[in-house]
Amino acid sequence: MSSKQRQFDALVRSLSGDLFRYGYWLCGDEALAHDLVQETFLRAWRALDDLRETAAAKAWLITILRREHARLYERKTPQFADVDELEIADDRDAHAPEFAGEENLIRNAMRGLDAKYREPLLLQVLGGFSCEEIARELHITPAAVMTQVFRARQKLKTLLAGGEQEAIVHELP
Amino acid sequence: MNCLDFRRQLNIDPHGMAAEFVRHRQECLRCAAVHERALGFEATLRHALAVPVSGQLADSILLAQATRQQRQRERLRNGGLLALAATVALAVGIGMRSQSWMLPTLAVDHLRKEAFVLAMSQPIDDEEVRKAFAESGVALDHVPAGISFVYCCPFAGYHSVHLVMPENSGPVTVLYLTEDAVKQREDFTRQGWQGRSVPLAHGTLVLLAHDTSHFDQLESAWRSALEHPRGADQARI
Repeated sequence: MSSKQRQFDALVRSLSGDLFRYGYWLCGDEALAHDLVQETFLRAWRALDDLRETAAAKAWLITILRREHARLYERKTPQFADVDELEIADDRDAHAPEFAGEENLIRNAMRGLDAKYREPLLLQVLGGFSCEEIARELHITPAAVMTQVFRARQKLKTLLAGGEQEAIVHELP
Repeated sequence: MNCLDFRRQLNIDPHGMAAEFVRHRQECLRCAAVHERALGFEATLRHALAVPVSGQLADSILLAQATRQQRQRERLRNGGLLALAATVALAVGIGMRSQSWMLPTLAVDHLRKEAFVLAMSQPIDDEEVRKAFAESGVALDHVPAGISFVYCCPFAGYHSVHLVMPENSGPVTVLYLTEDAVKQREDFTRQGWQGRSVPLAHGTLVLLAHDTSHFDQLESAWRSALEHPRGADQARI
């Protein structure tokens, strides 16, 4: 196996899961997320020479995946128009119903979030990126990222609380 | 930082470690309790977003990549590469022997296209090197030490093995063209690179670097590996 192939294998094995999850929450469809991740890595293989720092691989792949996702919308209107209707199979349901219930609430709440709030939050929670890194990826200011992740959490907690007042979410005295 | 600022920051980044944020948490019991609950929410959020991933995902991506690469190789072999080789052959004459003056320029062009591999410094397994040569139909007696990269590259219409050997004075690129040998050993300079081409076994060894101090040692190492005691004629698989 060549060094290039070895590097590629390591990237696929270490990052395909994270990319799939990010892709899933971006497009809302499991099969499409699989295709997005596959196409992302195939493009990454062709451009692997551009990757100078392994530490930057995740951000680089996320950028490719977001472009692929944008191209997909340019090419056709996906069949899964309403992301709210989708359910995720959860193999932990049978073992931990109490957690599954809460997680399902959060998932449904995530689906109800506007994309402009959902994406920065995904990059922060799933990607582990800082507000500055998210700002670079989304081409917005760090202050805008902070506002969006703040509002995303606020909205999620409000949705989970059944639409109660945000003051309760803040838990201010 | 007051309680309001703390809780705003908590909604922006609950895992924040800014000094003011941490200090307020330590000083305000009420905010510390809110922080605890926020971390619990973050854990549940993270868990909820971590949708199950098929165990076959990585394998299916690697299979798709291998399949696509194989198809590209076949297309190149059947069409593009033949056409390119024919064009090159027509333009510069048939074979490397009659056109050895082209070799330095072609070798440096190839190096520049793949310059990123010069940064690789970790030694790779000898088995990878043996495999790359075997793919090109060449058996090595042993693998010279200190190789950080190997890949079979189509090069000027020839099969070649491209290697990198990091040395104290900088990386040395080694190209072994398996199918044709230059007439004689030659040192050259092209585009700021120092080079040497050497007829070795059935092919040509090309060394490229900014510093030639390791060329003699590397030439000797590759001569020993390629022209092994069983005889150069047996080096070809």
